[in-house]
Parts: sequence; C-alpha cells; structure tokens
Amino acid sequence: MSEILLELKNITMKFGGVTALNEVNLHVNKGEIAALIGPNGAGKTTVFNVVTGVYKPTSGEVNFVNQSVVGKKRYQVTKMGIARTFQNIRLFGESTALENVVTGADVHSKSGVVGAIFGTPRSRREEKAALERGMELLAFMGLKHRAGQLGKNLPYGDQRRLEIARALATNPQLLLLDEPAAGFNPAEKVALAATIRKIRDAGYTVLLIEHDMSLIMDISDRVAVLDFGQKIADDAPKVVQNDPRVIEAYLGAPADAS
Amino acid sequence: MADKKFRYNLRDHAAEYWERSPKWRRVSLSISFIAFFYALPFLNNPLINTPGSDFQSVLFYPVGMYVLMAIGLNIVVGKSGLLDLGYVAFFAIGAYTMAILGTHTSLNFWEILPIGIALSMVSGVLLGTPTLRLRGDYLAIVTLGFGEIVRIVAVNIEAIGGPRGIAGIPTPPDVFKAKFTILDPKPYYWVLLTFTLLIIWMVRRIAARRPGRAWDAIRQDDDVAQLMGVNTLKYKVWAFVLGAAVAGAGGVLYASQILSIVPDQFNLNVSILILACVVFGGIGNLWGVILGAALLAFTPERIRFLSQPRILVFGIALVVMMNLRPDGILPKKKREHFDPNWHTVEESGEGSIK
Amino acid sequence: MDFALLRDAFWGLTFDGLALGAIYALISLGYTLVYGVLRLINFAHSEVFMIGTFSALVASGIMGVKIEDDPRTGWGMIFTLLICLLAAMIASAVTAVLVEIIAYRRLRQRGATKLATLISAIGVSISLVEAFRIITDSLPREFPRIMDKTFLFSYAGADIRNDKVIVIVAAALMMFALERFISKSRYGKGIRAVSMDENTATLMGVNINKVITVTFLAGGAMAGAAAFFYMLVYENTSFKVGFFLGISAFTAAVLGGIGNLKGALFGGFVLGVLETYTSAVFGTAWKAVISFLILVLVLLIKPTGLFGESIQQARV
Repeated sequence: MSEILLELKNITMKFGGVTALNEVNLHVNKGEIAALIGPNGAGKTTVFNVVTGVYKPTSGEVNFVNQSVVGKKRYQVTKMGIARTFQNIRLFGESTALENVVTGADVHSKSGVVGAIFGTPRSRREEKAALERGMELLAFMGLKHRAGQLGKNLPYGDQRRLEIARALATNPQLLLLDEPAAGFNPAEKVALAATIRKIRDAGYTVLLIEHDMSLIMDISDRVAVLDFGQKIADDAPKVVQNDPRVIEAYLGAPADAS
Repeated sequence: MADKKFRYNLRDHAAEYWERSPKWRRVSLSISFIAFFYALPFLNNPLINTPGSDFQSVLFYPVGMYVLMAIGLNIVVGKSGLLDLGYVAFFAIGAYTMAILGTHTSLNFWEILPIGIALSMVSGVLLGTPTLRLRGDYLAIVTLGFGEIVRIVAVNIEAIGGPRGIAGIPTPPDVFKAKFTILDPKPYYWVLLTFTLLIIWMVRRIAARRPGRAWDAIRQDDDVAQLMGVNTLKYKVWAFVLGAAVAGAGGVLYASQILSIVPDQFNLNVSILILACVVFGGIGNLWGVILGAALLAFTPERIRFLSQPRILVFGIALVVMMNLRPDGILPKKKREHFDPNWHTVEESGEGSIK
Repeated sequence: MDFALLRDAFWGLTFDGLALGAIYALISLGYTLVYGVLRLINFAHSEVFMIGTFSALVASGIMGVKIEDDPRTGWGMIFTLLICLLAAMIASAVTAVLVEIIAYRRLRQRGATKLATLISAIGVSISLVEAFRIITDSLPREFPRIMDKTFLFSYAGADIRNDKVIVIVAAALMMFALERFISKSRYGKGIRAVSMDENTATLMGVNINKVITVTFLAGGAMAGAAAFFYMLVYENTSFKVGFFLGISAFTAAVLGGIGNLKGALFGGFVLGVLETYTSAVFGTAWKAVISFLILVLVLLIKPTGLFGESIQQARV
C-alpha cells in the first residue's frame, strides 16, 4: 500500500464568476511520478497554485503528509516540503545561476540577519552548506559550468534546468513541474525524461504538468486528466490514453456523432 | 531593445583588478584608501574648494551625511526594491532623540546614540510590519505619508518644540583631546566616517549571505521568492529596520553638530534627495551609491549657481537617469565569470543531491 | 478636541465637505483612470492640478480681472468664469499628456520596472513643484472674486452658498459626462479594454499609445476642472497646493476602489466630508494625518476599496 503524500479533497476554486476547479479529487503517492494533463485552460496550473498556497481554495482540503496546506503562508508550504517550477520561466534573472539555487537552499538555514552581521559559527556553517548544496545541484542538472552566469543570459534549456535545480534546493518531498519540456526539441525531451527519473530515484516524488504525450507515457506511473476544472480520468497511462472521455476532451466528439 | 554599444565598464574592471590582487596589495590599497578619507578635511585644493561654505563643514554635511543615508536607503530601495519615500522620518527621529534627551537629561551623545538608533529601529518595525505587505506603489505613498506625519507631529506638538524646534543641543564630550564644537567640524566628520566605514563593512557582510540573497530575490520576484521558501515579510522588515537604524544614527550625530533643529528641516525633499543619490549612483550598487551621493551632495556646494535650484536639478536628474541610464553611473555587476577563489566543491564528476 | 462644533454645525460642515469632496472626486478620477490603464500611481497628477490653478489665475489676468475689482455680474461673469474653467482644463490636460510622454512613455515601451517608473514620476513631480516655487518665489497667489458669493438659502442650520452648489453640481455633471464617454465612445471602450487586458486589447487592434494619451487627457481635464473650482471656492493657490490635495484625492480613489469611476466619485465625497468633520474636531493641522490614516486602514483592511476589484493578487 503506497503512502499518500499529497491529497486534494473536493477542491473547488472560484474566481468571481468563473469556476476554475470543480470538486477536484487528486492524490499523489510517495515515490511515484504522477502526471496532470488536460486541454489548455483545464485548470492544471490552478491546481499547482492551490497546492503551493498561491490561491486559497474556495472550498475543499489540501493535505500534505497529513497536514493541511490551506491557510499556510507560501514560504511555509515550501518549508513543509513542496517545491515547484513555472510554466513561464520565473528565474531571478539578475542573479547568477548559483545564487538562484542557493536562495532555494537557504530555506532550511536557521540563521538570518543577526547571524550574518555577527558571523556566528552557525551562520558560517549554514552558509558553507548552502553553497555546497547549490553546487551539487548545479552539477546534478548539468549546469556547473554556468554557476557564475546571470540567469537571464542562460540559454533556454539551461534556464528550465536551473528552475528545477532551484526547486530541488529547497529539499522538497514533492516536486511540482509545470510544463518542464515546453520548447524542448526531442533530444532534450529524452534527456529531461532521464533527469526526472533520476530525480525520482534519488527519493523525490514528482507531479508534472505536460502536453507532450510521449513524454507522459514514457515516464509517468499514473496520469490524471482535467477538463474544464473537473477530473475526468485518473489511472495508469495506457488506460487513460484509450479512455474515450479523454480523447473527446482533447479532440472533441468523434466525427460520426453529428 | 538594443542597448548602447559596449561601454568601458569601470566597475567591472576595478572589480577584476581587485580580485586578481594578492592579499598584501588588497590590504595596502584599503588602508591607503581609508587613510585618504580620514585626511580629507586637510585637503586644500582650489579644484575642490567650496565657495560660500567651509569645505570641512561641507564634508560633514551634506556630503558625509548624504553618503551615509544613501547607503542606508540603498538597503531598502536598492537591494530589496522597496520604494520608501519617507526615509527622512527616521533621520528626524534620531535627531529629535538627541535634541530631547540632550536638553532634558544629563545623557551625553554616546549614551544617546544607541537610544536614537533603537527608537528608529522600533519605528521601522512599527511602520514596516503592516505596510510592507502592500504592493510597490502603495508602499511608496504610505511611506510618503509616514514621513509627512512625523513632520506634522513635530510641528504641532509644543512639548517637543513645535514649529520652532529645539535649540541648545549639547555637543558630544571630548574624545582623546578632540573637541566637538561648532567651530571645528573635523571630529564630527571623523566620527561620521568611522561610522560609515562600519556600516559599509556590515552591509557587505550581510549582502553576501542569506539576507542579501533573500533581498535580491524579493526585489526581482516577490511571489516566486516566497514560493522558494523566503519569508519575504521578515526580510523586508529587516531591510526597513536596518535602513532606519542608519538614518537614526545619522540624525543623532547631525543634531549634535548643528545644535538646534526645526521640524521643517525634515521634509519630503530630503527623502527625495537621498533617493536621488541612490538612483543616480545605480540602484543596489553600494559603491555607485556612495559615489553618486558624494557627487550630488558636493556639486551644488562647489558650483554655487546650482545651489538654489538644487532640488529642481535633482528632480530633473531623476527623470533623466531613469529614462536614459537606469542603471546609474556605476551599473551593477555584470561579471559573467565565476569567482576563481571559491574552491569548496570538487571539480570532477556529477554531484549527488542528498 | 471640539466635538460640540461638529454637533452644532453638522449640516453646514456636511455641505462644505461635499463641496471639498467634489473637488477631490474630480482629481481622483485622474488617479483612478491612469491606474486602471497602466497599473501605476501617477505621482505627477497633483502637479497637473496645481498647474490648472495657475492657469485659471493667468486666464483671469488676461481677461482683465484684478484682485481689487468688484465681482462681475450677468453674462460677463459667466463668460469670464467659463474662460477660466476652459483655460484650467486645457492646461491641465496638456500637462498630463506631456507628463506621460516625458516620464512614462519610454519606460513603458522598454518594459521598465515599476520602481523605475515611479521614480521617474516623482522626478517630474518634484521638478514641477520646484519650478513653480522658483517662479512664484514661494509666495501664494490670490484668485480674484469674479462671482459674488451669496448664500442662497439655509437648511437645518447650514448656510448654502452659491459657489459651493455650483461646484457640487458641476462636478457631478462632469462625472456623468465622463462616464458616458467611457462607456459609449470608441476611445472609452479602448480604455476599458486596456484596463482589463492590455495584451488582448492590442491584439484586437486597440492603439495603446492613443488610448493612454486619451486617458491622461481625460484625467487631466477633470483635474483642471477641479483646479478651477478650487480657485472659485478657496480663492488662492501656491506651488505646493497639489501635494496634500493629491494625497487626499488618491486616498479617495483607493477608498472608492481604485480603477473604479463610481468609486472615485463616492470616495471623493466621503473623504471630503470626513476631512471636514475632523478639521472641525481636531483642527486643520491634523487633516493630513487623518487622510493618511484612512488610506492605510483601507489598504490594510479592504484594499479593494468600497467598489473596486482586488489589485493585490499574485500572478504565477
């Protein structure tokens, strides 16, 4: 029996008159690579936003390792162990790659301004640890040679990889990837698939949003499908691929129905 | 948007030279640099003499004071990206602390200094905690209001002098034969310089570590910073508090030199002037800000006809700088190469992540 | 603290407050319109108002009116007043557009940070204030009494004065006209489209630059009208008149819900009345403090204001 890491219970998200999510139930098991797919506007990024505390759901529960996420401040959610990347790359462009990643690694340091002013032993220790972790993660994502370069000057693929490194630096249990393969060519997608597997093998759990079906089929253990804010399928990739409701959501009703 | 063609970047070249230098060179350069500034009041060169006012006095105020305050405001506006238009309020709190305690109690300057700093910091917390959640433009207006309210309160409360202010503020006690009198600004200048060097040292330390990274993240993308685990409110309040402390200290020293203060000295224009120094020097860039403040404070004293429309010139400078050279006269570091002195991680192989 | 004064003169103070509020409402329209379209507080708007007051003054001078003259009557009076009103509106509108071109346009097109744009705005604001300070030698200037101020009638102890009635009515009429412009005209629709979604508006063929120019024109014209009415009622101005009025008008815009026209109207009247009450009770020196406190309270408790939509939402 796999352990449930993240659970969304009856999540409804309304913005004024628009219902973005309608009684959505989702869960992610520890150690799996789960995927969230659906046509554009189905509410996938909204799910990420609800899970990370960007939006407060209109109703419903979000539980992470049996703790409620709803109502917590965003940085607290990250501390709990959820990290994410973004559909449109949101790096700290004016900072170097290393600085980007170390900012994420800082989340587990206890010392702050006072420690920095006085140079306390703990502050120095944590600083060294954070920098080392930063370099390790850059190396892990194949970005060590970019450490001193500004985020905004990196090539596109490296920027996407840097975002992942930064998220990993916060040492999460659950990693949310929002369209990590967007703009990648086939070779890069293959490399990305391998990287995501490597991340899972290192002990992280991954939930990703993606549009590239072959990538999804290749690496996911389980696929959930959203359409117009509702979940319409949640099963192994092969099953979901052949589900008529899913096909209809993406392609419209079959031609002979008219 | 095509940028201008490659410009000789003074800052990068200076930084590179510094980094390539062995330790002995760095130390001797620093010492000579610092010694130069301590010796500055004795400089008597027609090129820098200020007609109309005493050079040594000008070094203390406005040059030294503006530099100090610009460094303080730089933490708030430059590093953290928080537009504070009421910075003068903290300066006023420091000055009034010196004035009130100096005239009503037997405490001397050195004893009042930490009190003034503490009061400014507390004000920073009180103002910051509710308002730093607000978005940039709203924060600007609210801090503007705070600055004005402090002034209005000072004008309207007779107990702290009302519109006539407070006079008869005592000078600091002698330090190693150096007398603090209104006739000789040099000891004041040296105290200010020492304090400024201390602040510079402190700011550079903090900026290189976690708080600096947090502020950079907040400035660039507050929402994402939070999602990366940064407690943005806490660090924003800290930036505010540190900036307030610097201004408060400056205020205490200022009051003990000028010996009488009136509320109208602490008006919006001062906040704007300090902001102009930060902007002119290059938002976020410590050395740029120092250079910018020194230039902006010194030039109207040197070129007298600029002195009257000084504020007009500053205002125009703000618009021009933002439109033509938003990075300031010494833009932030653009270095691409990695610091070669940093050796902690092995060069070979893939790292692990656990 | 004088609560007795508030109680005894309540309706009179309310009426005066409404007149002041009408002026605030007209100025706050400029803030709210620009905020809706650019998501930016136009710091220089207070100087747009200030320039309007001086323009009305100059216009009166050109019309040959001197301070010591008796008030005019009949058509002559109406004509003089209208010229001053037009002068103020035109001068303010032109100033507003110039501000946009000088302080904002380039930064907007470059995609500059909010911080940079705000600083540019402050620079313009400070420069204008200082320029006028130097021109007027820091002295306030009086506006001649073109219209004789008479009390029309009394109601519940309040003396209803003709100039204040004109201001209240005229302001309401102008708001109404502006509202029709925004909802019915082509440019008005453009303004609403850009307020909602700039990118889509551009894709739909809306000329952003023109829409923004019209926005500044409209807001500026309203501020110019406010400037004329201010001169009519208070009969003097100075280089710093814009500062506190601007803060109050901005507070009114936030109170009503920034980006919302009806909100600006409502917020203006409410704030005008509240300020008049607090002046009566605490004295005029504390008026600005009360304004700020209201602003901070609104921003902290209900940043959407009374009618507006929330602008604090994060975007990820």
